[in-house]
Amino acid sequence: MLKWVWLVPVLSLAGAAINLFAGKKLGRRAGWLASALMVAAFGIALTVLNDLAKLPGNERTFILHLYDWVTVGSFRVAVDLRVDPLSVTMMLVVTGVGALIHVYSIGYMEHDPRRGRFFAFMNLFAFFMLMLVLAENFLILYLGWEGVGLCSYLLIGFWFERTIAANAAKKAFVTTRIGDTFMLIGVVLVFLRLGSLDFAKVLSQGVSSSQPSGVFTVIALLLLAGAIGKSAQVPLHVWLPDAMEGPTPVSALIHAATMVTAGVYLVARTHVFFEISGVALTVVLIVGLVTAVYAATAALGQDDFKRVLAYSTISQLGFMFFALGLKAYAAAIFLLVTHSFYKALMFLSAGSVMHALDDETDMKKMGGLIRVMPITGTVFSLGALALAGVPPLAGFFSKDQVIAAANHGGDQLAWVVALVAAFFSALYIMRMIFLTFAGRPRWQGHPYESPPVMLVPLILLAVGAVAGGLLGLSAVTGKLPAFLAPVLGEVHQPTRGMSETGLSLISVIVALLGVGGAWLVYGSGRIDWVALRVRSAGLQRFLQGGWYVDDVYSTVLVAPGKAGSAVLAYVFDAGFIDGAVNAVGRLFRALASVGRRVQTGLVRNYALAFLFGVVAIFVYVGFRL
Amino acid sequence: MNTPIAYFLVVSAALFTIGTVGVLVRKNALVIFMSVELQLNAVNLALVAFSRMHGNLTGQVLAFFSMVVAAAEVVVGLAIIVAIYRRRASANVDDVNLLKW
Repeated sequence: MLKWVWLVPVLSLAGAAINLFAGKKLGRRAGWLASALMVAAFGIALTVLNDLAKLPGNERTFILHLYDWVTVGSFRVAVDLRVDPLSVTMMLVVTGVGALIHVYSIGYMEHDPRRGRFFAFMNLFAFFMLMLVLAENFLILYLGWEGVGLCSYLLIGFWFERTIAANAAKKAFVTTRIGDTFMLIGVVLVFLRLGSLDFAKVLSQGVSSSQPSGVFTVIALLLLAGAIGKSAQVPLHVWLPDAMEGPTPVSALIHAATMVTAGVYLVARTHVFFEISGVALTVVLIVGLVTAVYAATAALGQDDFKRVLAYSTISQLGFMFFALGLKAYAAAIFLLVTHSFYKALMFLSAGSVMHALDDETDMKKMGGLIRVMPITGTVFSLGALALAGVPPLAGFFSKDQVIAAANHGGDQLAWVVALVAAFFSALYIMRMIFLTFAGRPRWQGHPYESPPVMLVPLILLAVGAVAGGLLGLSAVTGKLPAFLAPVLGEVHQPTRGMSETGLSLISVIVALLGVGGAWLVYGSGRIDWVALRVRSAGLQRFLQGGWYVDDVYSTVLVAPGKAGSAVLAYVFDAGFIDGAVNAVGRLFRALASVGRRVQTGLVRNYALAFLFGVVAIFVYVGFRL
Repeated sequence: MNTPIAYFLVVSAALFTIGTVGVLVRKNALVIFMSVELQLNAVNLALVAFSRMHGNLTGQVLAFFSMVVAAAEVVVGLAIIVAIYRRRASANVDDVNLLKW
């Protein structure tokens, strides 16, 4: 079955094509078609996994050559798919979680007249994401990378009639493009310095030792810039909270489970570069840690519950980058997988709540929803507890491994900061639970539980969020770390730092402290959180505005940019460029007003000119002879 | 019997000059047209004369081509002149001067 892996992206592409051209005619069936294709892709992905697992550990890399794409001199790019433990893991996440989100969307988008379009974009996204993770060379990866960016843009701005959504889409596109540009330079540099774009050649140790390590630092940092943009890390994170303007399944699929993890995948895939460089690895660590703490605090100040989840995603991605920086690649991918379960689950549950409350997203107007939406409330809480790191849910194992890696990595400061971020994670997510599902109802209208087509995916994702930890019970011997070892390197038993049990205990205590803190303020009723909000309005605004990063960007970057553009557009372009063009035009008009007198309209004048011409030619030829 | 080539060329040149002057000085489109025919035939004469001088048929073949082209040109040209005459009741080329500055 390994050579049938091409079917996985092609099925999604077929779905996109059919829905794009016939989506209107298909009507309600558009969603079922898109979902069926995703489920089929997931099935094929599973058989691919099965076949791959049959091979011995060190032979688990299969490269499927489809066709040659570009052949110019020594520059050769083939459309090759790489099947190895890392890409298969990503492929399973994309198709598996993707399929569930597609099914959920059938219910969520039921009343939208542009269903066909929606599912076409969703399938197209899945195609590009699959190309990204299955790519065997940097160019195909870049193709997928830009493709998912495009689909993200199209889907954030899906309800483009709303200016705010259209602007959010633009912001996401432009912000990620900043990173993408650096990444493209990095890709070019890879080719110039290493002579190839194929992972098989470039990532092998032989090629790597042929260049000074500074080259790899530059390449790694350029690739990292792309990853920072795509994965919404500080300082290019500003687009993700705004991206919540898209339909909620989009937030779940693109802005939680898959696309934003592309940066993590990229760094994990090219970890060889980062390791040779060393410096780049430290940068990854710092970026991840700063993002994890920053976004966790910002999430605490949000009122819009989708924005809480957005900042939470940024924070969790920060944890993944942090793990990458610690060389705990398997832990990062493990967190990526479990995060895709519980974050997709929470986004979809949030979508159900929005459905029930007529698109209300303000948590101040919720509360007590568990009584009207028992299933949604339960699965959401499971996801939240998983995120908070409460054992034995999936998030506990994955986050614990990241934090343990920090301790074993030797830098105790990073470990403490990571614990602080974990504490805030538990705090903000439980705050969200208490404000939304617990307490006294503050909503109006008639909320209702979602239909089965939306509940079944939620329940399946909840199973993942609860049992996902089984994939990696231990950082050293767990199933997923062991499976990924051929690509990401063996995980060794730590030689220093605390024991795993002790670290787990500390993690659990921190998580429970967060949960308890949230309960004390928002759940127990002993503290009036509304009054607390008013008293600390400054802090509240600071956190809600995401530490005012957006405002700083608007003042420092956007405003001068706009002013500069205005000068270029209205002064330089209108005066100088257009002036030069117009001056050329005026010059020729002036010349023509004299020259056009030659055209008298009298046939005999023309004939005479003709005669002179002929005579002149004869004279010339005569003298030549 | 062997007339020198110069005789033919003199006649040809004379015909061509008459034709050229006719094209340049006359106003009536039909007369201009006839003058053009005169020029063409002057060239035909020269071609045939050279053909005889060289003893091969190339020049005569070319003259035939020239005649065929001239005939075709007459068809188109006369049609245009008739059309203009019907519209303007005049065959004076100086009246047809719309295409000017």
